[in-house]
Amino acid sequence: MKNIPFKKIYLYIILALCIAASVLFVQNNDAFYERTIAEVKEVQLLHSEEVTDIYDNKDHLYEQRIIAEITNGEAKGQQIHLTNQFSESKAYDNEIKTGQKLFVSIKDNNESDADLSGEIIDLKRDHFILLTGWIFILILLLVGKKQGLFSIISLAFNAVLLSYALDVYLKNPEISLLLICSAAVILFTVTSLLLVNGFNEKTYAAIIATLAATFLSLLITFLVIWLTGGKGLRFEELQFITRPYQMVFLAGLFIGSLGAVMDVAITMSSSLFSLYEKNNSIPVQALKRSGMEVGKDIMGTMTNILFFAYISGSIPMLILYIKNDSPLGYSLSMNLSLELARALAGGIGIVITIPIGLYTTIYFINRKRARR
Amino acid sequence: MNAILLLAAILFILMTLVGGKKGARSFFAIFLNFGVIIFVLFFMNDPNINPIIVTLIACAFIGCINLFFINEVNIKTITAFLSSLITTGVLIGFIVIIAEKAMIQGFGEEEIEELSIFSLYIGVDFVKVAASVIIMSTISAITDAAMAISSPMREIHYHHPDISRKELFQAGISIGKDILGTSTNTLFFAFFGAYLALLIWFKDLSYSAGEIINSKIFSGEMITIFCAGIGVTMVIPVTSWITALYLVKRGNTADTAE
Repeated sequence: MKNIPFKKIYLYIILALCIAASVLFVQNNDAFYERTIAEVKEVQLLHSEEVTDIYDNKDHLYEQRIIAEITNGEAKGQQIHLTNQFSESKAYDNEIKTGQKLFVSIKDNNESDADLSGEIIDLKRDHFILLTGWIFILILLLVGKKQGLFSIISLAFNAVLLSYALDVYLKNPEISLLLICSAAVILFTVTSLLLVNGFNEKTYAAIIATLAATFLSLLITFLVIWLTGGKGLRFEELQFITRPYQMVFLAGLFIGSLGAVMDVAITMSSSLFSLYEKNNSIPVQALKRSGMEVGKDIMGTMTNILFFAYISGSIPMLILYIKNDSPLGYSLSMNLSLELARALAGGIGIVITIPIGLYTTIYFINRKRARR
Repeated sequence: MNAILLLAAILFILMTLVGGKKGARSFFAIFLNFGVIIFVLFFMNDPNINPIIVTLIACAFIGCINLFFINEVNIKTITAFLSSLITTGVLIGFIVIIAEKAMIQGFGEEEIEELSIFSLYIGVDFVKVAASVIIMSTISAITDAAMAISSPMREIHYHHPDISRKELFQAGISIGKDILGTSTNTLFFAFFGAYLALLIWFKDLSYSAGEIINSKIFSGEMITIFCAGIGVTMVIPVTSWITALYLVKRGNTADTAE
């Protein structure tokens, strides 16, 4: 018994070292960036004014004069003068504060010994991502222990896999994105479910149910879009598009509903298997009834999870539309049509997983019974 | 025919086929939640109202819809509701600080071109809106996790009425560990799917790793994913604690379980 706490202490020390090292690195990694970085030393508010736009929205505009010190590149150590404008609402501007690090561009200066001047490009945000990431990992480990570690591993693995799949797609644009995503989806499902639940029949049933349901729901969505000619879907509003948008949309939808479908599939198979393990001679009819009850319980909350995860992101854009006097119906259809389609298609995936999961699990249970 | 209407019709038919009355109620809950979002939108448009407070009230409503309307008012849903609200309250404090420090509010330079026709000086505090968005995208997952823990805890207490508070809490945590992997996965894939276009965009325009990590949109998405994960993880001990406290206390005063 005494060995376990020691082992734990080692783990904690290693974890603490990792955190300290990574935080130190990100605080001092300026030299690795190609873009010039400057640390804000002094901020002075030049003036402020109240503005009213043509839609009667009131806001405040501020102008700041900033002195910053360059921390990388050839001009390292030199001071740079910057100006910054920001508004109270900060939709596309930021209030600069002392101590922040900024990406700046240096303007050519004629007098060689005078201070530099330049423009602010963006804010350095990497340490905030790192901080939130560590807090997330720590809480996950604290609450979930081993299972927490497994979910971190599975998340990291899935992120790398997704990035790799996209690289493959960009290098071979002749292969359909859907095909690449299908391969990725199979890998996602197998690794995530195996990592979370281990090698057993429960997991195999869930994997088969997940794959069948995901592909079926994709097929349904594809048919709907094809039948309706995509009417009501504002593909032109799909942001950040460099590729055929319909494919990108379908692929995103495909991957997006996968997590929820996996969740439903594993819930169905574990609850049915636990019933079977409690009573090996439980009749198939009873399993079906209980399975449907479980399905009914999780259906509503799962569809709502997807709904909020997709719709919430559109709120800032909707506010901007409405504040600019766009009619509500127009703003909603412009900004929500694709998100709604995603949420609904994901919901269809979730609901069809329930019967599919039920019958695959019963098949596996029957097979196990026959072998006894 | 409109694609969205057709998808909605298919979803409704499937939900009633599989879930019967409860399925229809679950479908209707989506509409109620949509209504809550529209209300949130209206209140957020008023610069004099704090978006954070609007969000907290909206979360209470969403919790009511997801727990009391889809299920019913009972011990399981009440403890789940309380736990979700407490978790949301703590989480939003953290998110506001991060959103303000990391300045992930509003729109990124990638989006700004298409917004050139709009006036951006609209007086709405986008930092607080950004924090609200993160909370809103996680709230449903939080109530789901809370319900998934409080419901089996109630069963355990029902079958072992003499269980101590500490044991019941431990049982809750161990249920939580089992759902942790899948509920974080649900959110991650939902976000991955939603950001797929963005990822292709970054790769297509060959952004460097440094540019991607520090860009407003990507860091905003990453922080959303992490905060969502923190939310669904934090709700596990909170729900276990509250449910254990509530069930054991109630068990001592009134021994009869319904």
